[in-house]
Amino acid sequence: MLPARFSAGLILPQPRLPDPAAPVATELTVEAAVQPAPGESLRVELLVTEDAEVAQGQPLMRLKTAPGIALVAPMAARVARIDLQPGRRLSQLVLFHEPGGARHAFDTRGAGGDPARLRALLQESGLWRMIRSRPFGRMPAPAEAPAAILVMGRDTRPGAPDPALAITGREEDLARGLSALASLTAGPLLYAGPGAPAPARPVATGPLHPQGLAGPVLHRHVPARTGAPVWDLTAEDAADIGALLATGFLPPTRLIAITGEALRSPALVRCQPGADLRGLTRARVLPGPHDVLSGSALDGRPALWLGARDRQVTALPRAPRPAGRHWFRAALDRAARHAPIIPTAALDQALGGDLPAAALVRALAAGDAEGLIRLGGLSLLEEDLALADYATGSDQRLARQLRALLDRIAAEEGLA
Amino acid sequence: MKQGLWDRETVALLLLAALLPMLLAWLWDGGLMAAGRLGFALVVSGFWHLAFMLIRAQPPSVAGVLTALAVAMLAPEDLSLLQLILGISFGSVIAELVFGGWGRNVLNPATVTLAFLGFGFPAAPWPDLALPVGWAAIPALGLGVLFGVMALRLVLGAVLALALCLWAGVPLAPLLPVAGIVLALLVSDPVASASTKLGGWLNGALYGLLLALFAAHWQGAAPVQMAVSAALLASLAAPLLDEIALALWILRRRMHHG
Repeated sequence: MLPARFSAGLILPQPRLPDPAAPVATELTVEAAVQPAPGESLRVELLVTEDAEVAQGQPLMRLKTAPGIALVAPMAARVARIDLQPGRRLSQLVLFHEPGGARHAFDTRGAGGDPARLRALLQESGLWRMIRSRPFGRMPAPAEAPAAILVMGRDTRPGAPDPALAITGREEDLARGLSALASLTAGPLLYAGPGAPAPARPVATGPLHPQGLAGPVLHRHVPARTGAPVWDLTAEDAADIGALLATGFLPPTRLIAITGEALRSPALVRCQPGADLRGLTRARVLPGPHDVLSGSALDGRPALWLGARDRQVTALPRAPRPAGRHWFRAALDRAARHAPIIPTAALDQALGGDLPAAALVRALAAGDAEGLIRLGGLSLLEEDLALADYATGSDQRLARQLRALLDRIAAEEGLA
Repeated sequence: MKQGLWDRETVALLLLAALLPMLLAWLWDGGLMAAGRLGFALVVSGFWHLAFMLIRAQPPSVAGVLTALAVAMLAPEDLSLLQLILGISFGSVIAELVFGGWGRNVLNPATVTLAFLGFGFPAAPWPDLALPVGWAAIPALGLGVLFGVMALRLVLGAVLALALCLWAGVPLAPLLPVAGIVLALLVSDPVASASTKLGGWLNGALYGLLLALFAAHWQGAAPVQMAVSAALLASLAAPLLDEIALALWILRRRMHHG
C-alpha cells in the first residue's frame, strides 16, 4: 500500500478542524431554500403559494416529468418567495423559519417490506434527491433499477465532518435504512467506512483524498455503465431513510462542518438542508471580505444556500484583486492555448492512484468519449477530479471537461 | 477556488532543481568551456522559444533550459557553431515547439537534437563525461523521484535491467556513469516517457536492455552515443508501451467486472 500512503509532494491544505468531541449544537437558520442542484433543471408543479405556512417535511412541489417525486420543506416555515424561470423551471423557493411549527407525517405503512412502496415513499419524502445516480450524477429516474448501491461512511475531503459522527447513536436507523436500500437493488449494497452494518458488504477505502469519495470507490468495485447505473448516498442519508421508516417523520437536521481560513474557529453544527450559508457563518467569520462556499475548498462553489448533498461550508478570504499585469503578459495569456498538464506523481495521487492519470487527462482534454468510457470514466463526477484540478492549477478545469463530456454522452445515449 | 502548484512551469523548475547536482558537477569539471557551451545552447533554444512566443503565442517554458542543459552536456564535441545551431534548432522546433510546446511533444527535444547531431555529423567525437558527473546522476534521480517529477518505476526498471545484464556478464561497467546521466537527462522526462505504471517499468527496462544490447554488439561506439541511441529508441517505444499497459489494465478490469 506504499503508493496509497506516499504523497509525492502533494500536500493538501488541511483546514483547522472542529473538535469532534465537542457537543454539536443544532442551529436552524432563519432562512432556508429549496433549489436545484448545479446543472440540474427541475420543471415543477407548485403545491404551495407564497406566504403559505408549511410543516417540516411537507411537499412543496412535484416534478412535472415525474409527479411522484416531491421536493419538501426542510423546516416548519412560511413560504417567503418562489422564483421560477420560464417553463416553470425552479430557480429557488425561499422559506422563513416558523418556530414551533408542525412536522409532516408520511404514510410509511408497508414501505419496509415492499420495494415499490419504499420507492414511492422515498420519492414523496424528498429523500430520493439525496441519492445520486452514476453515470452522469443526477437524481435517479423514478423507475431506475440500480446495479449496485454504495453508502459512503467515509469522507476524505479536507475539512469534511466524519460521517461516523453523523450516525453515532443512530445505528438502528442506519441498519433499517440499509435493509430498505438493499431491497431496491438486485446487485450488491456496499458500505465504505468503518463498521459496515448488515446487510451491507464492507469495502475498503484508502486514507488519502480522493480515495474516500464515492467515485474512486465505485470505479474500483462496481463501475457504473450507461445500462447499469450505480447509486451512491451518504451514511447519514441512509440513516434518515431508516428514521423515516421507523417514525414517519423526516429527520430535520444534518451534520455539517463549517471550516475555512476566514473563520475565527471551525465548527460542527446540525442544520436543516438548504440552510442559509450567511446565517451559518455570520457570527463566525473574521472581519474582511470573504467568500462562502457550499462544499469543500476543493469542490465547493460560491452559494447562498447549502447544496442538497453538501455536508460542508467553507469560508475563504477573498483573494485580493490581482495587480495589473503587464500588457504583453496579458495579451499572451489571452492568445495562448492552455498549458498542458504534465503527468507527475502528484497528478497520479490526485486521481486516487488507481486510474491511468495521463490517459484520463488526455481523453478529457481531447473530448474523447470512447476513451473516457474505456477508462471507466463513467463512474466519475466533477468532485472526483476536483483535487486534480486543484493540484495542477490548470486553467483548463478537468471537472468542467468531464461534465461536458458526460453531458455529451448522455445526449448521445438519449438520456439527456 | 484555491490553486495548487503542479502546473507545467513548476514541474519544469523542479526537474531543473533535480538536475542541479549533475549540472554543478559537470560545470565544476568542464569549467569555462562547459559554461560557454551551456550558454550557447541556452541562447539558441531561447531564441526559438522567443520566436514561437511572438509568432504562435506559445508562452516560453523553463523546459527550454532542460533541453539546452542536456544538449550542452551530451552533444558531440568539435562541432562548428553552425552545426550546433542546426542541431539545436531542429530538436527544439521539430520535436517540441511545432507540437505546441513542452507537454504536447512526443519525443524529448534534447534526444532528437542529439540523435540529429549524431547521425548528421558522425565524424565528431562524442564527449567523455567525468566520473563525478555520473555519480551526481544518483542524487539527481533521487531528487526527481522525491519531487514526483520523475517516475520511480522507470528508474527502477532501468536499474533492474542493467543489474540483470551486468550479472549475466554483459560488459556494461564502463557505460554505467553515462547510463545514469542519460537516464536522468533524457529517459525520465515525464512527457516523453511512458506514463502508465506497467508502461514505466517496461520503458525503463527497455532502455536498460537496449543499452546492454549496444554494449555487447555495437563495436566502436562511444558510451554517450550508445546511451543516447537507447534513449531515443526507448522514448519512441514509450507510447506503444503505454498502449500495451492500458490494454492489459482494461482487460483485467473487464475480467474482474464483466
